Amino acid sequence: MTRQVRASAGNRPALAVALVLTLVAGGFAAWEGRSWYAAAHDDSAAYAAQRDRALAAGEQAVQNLNTLDHRRVDQGLDLWETSTTGELHEQLVDGRTEFTSQVKTAKTVTTARVLSGAVTELDDRAGRARLLVALRITVTTPDSKSTEKDSRMLGELTRTDGQWKLSALGQAPVGGTATG
Amino acid sequence: MPTPRHHLNRQRRRQALADQPAPAPRTHSPVGLLSEPDSAPGRRTAAKPVREARGAAKEDTAGGARAEETVAPARPETDRAGRRHLAPLVILCLLTLLLGGFAGWAHSRAGELRDDPARGNTALTDLARTSEIKGQTAAAVAALFSYDHADTGPFERAGKTLLTGRAVEQHRTLFSGVLSQAARQKTVITTTVTDSAVERIDGDRARVLVYADQSSVSTAGNGKAGGGKQKPKTQDQGVYAGAMFALDVVRRDGRWLVENIDTFGR
Repeated sequence: MTRQVRASAGNRPALAVALVLTLVAGGFAAWEGRSWYAAAHDDSAAYAAQRDRALAAGEQAVQNLNTLDHRRVDQGLDLWETSTTGELHEQLVDGRTEFTSQVKTAKTVTTARVLSGAVTELDDRAGRARLLVALRITVTTPDSKSTEKDSRMLGELTRTDGQWKLSALGQAPVGGTATG
Repeated sequence: MPTPRHHLNRQRRRQALADQPAPAPRTHSPVGLLSEPDSAPGRRTAAKPVREARGAAKEDTAGGARAEETVAPARPETDRAGRRHLAPLVILCLLTLLLGGFAGWAHSRAGELRDDPARGNTALTDLARTSEIKGQTAAAVAALFSYDHADTGPFERAGKTLLTGRAVEQHRTLFSGVLSQAARQKTVITTTVTDSAVERIDGDRARVLVYADQSSVSTAGNGKAGGGKQKPKTQDQGVYAGAMFALDVVRRDGRWLVENIDTFGR
C-alpha cells in the first residue's frame, strides 16, 4: 500500500504538468481554429477576391479589344469575341467582315498597354461590375510610323459561367461640346 | 519467473469460474478481459494476470495457495499502479500533441488566407472608406487643378493644405507653365472630376484613378495654357480636354492628402 501511494504521488506532478500543457494546447487549438474559421468564412474577403478577378479579367479584355495586327486579323478578332459577352459581343460579331476588310486595307498594327485600372462598382450576386481602365494605345502604320494615344476607357463587365467578360466598352466622354 | 505464477493463476481462475458461473467479477476487471487474447508470455502481460489472480483469490476463499498470494502482490502492485497512472499521462501527452498540431496547422492556414493580397486591399469592400476617399479626392482635384487669375487665393490655399511629400513639387511643375503667363493671359482653368475609382486602400494609404475634364479659358494674349496635360489650339474661347491620372493619397488627421501625382509619364 505504501508503495502504491508513493508511486501515484511521484506521478502526480507530471500529471499536473501534462494536464496544464494539454489545456494550454487546447486553448491554442480553439483560438487558432476560431481565427482560421473566421478567415475562411470572411464575406469581405470573398468580395475582395471577386473584385480582383473582375479587375484582372476586365483589364485583359480591354487590352485585347485594343490590340489588333492586320497580319493576324482573324486570330485577333477571335480573341475579341472570347473576351466579350452580351450586346458588345453581338456588335463585334456583326461588324466582323466589315472591320476585317478595313484593317486589312489600312495595314495597321495596334497594341495597347494598361496604365492603370480600378473597379468602381461590383455587384457580386448579379455578376455585374464597372471599371475604369487607363490605356495607352500605340498604332503603327505600314510606313512604320507609330502614334501613341491615351484612352480613358469605361467598361462594363458581366459574369457568364463564372468568368468575367466585357459587356460594354466606351471612352469617357469629354465634357462640354468639344471632344478630345 | 512469471510463467509458473501465470499458469497457476489461470488454473485458479478456471476453478473459480467452475464454482461460480455468474461472470460478475469479470465485468469489474476489463483489463483482465483485455489481456485474455494475448496471454502469451511477455513483459506486457506480466502484471495483468495478477489482477485476475486477486479477483480469483477473493472468490476462492477456500483456495490453498495463500502462501503464493502473500508473496506475489508486492511488486506487481506498484507496477500496476504505475501503469494505471501512466495511462492518463500518455493520453494527455497525445492530446497535447494533437491539439498543438491542430493549432499550428490552423494558424498557418489562417495566415495563408490573411496574406492574400486581395484581402489587404479594402477598396470597395469598405464602402464607407471608398466613397470617403472618392469624395475627398474629387474635391482636392477640383481645388488643386483649378485656377483663376483674378482670384488666386483658393488655388494657393489648396496647394498648401492638400498636398504633401512629392506632390508639392509635382504640382508646381505641372502648373509652372500656366503660372508664368497666367496674369498676362488672364487664364481661368476649371477642373472637374468626371469619373474616379479607388484602386487600392491599404490602411491610411490609397490610390485613386481619376478622369477629369479641364476647361481652359484665356481671355487675353496667346500662348500656352493648361495644366501640362493640354495644349489649347484656340484663344479667347473655352477649350475642353480630358485628363487622366492616378493619385496616391494618405490620411492625415482625418483628411486625405495627395502624396503623389502619377500622370503616366506625360
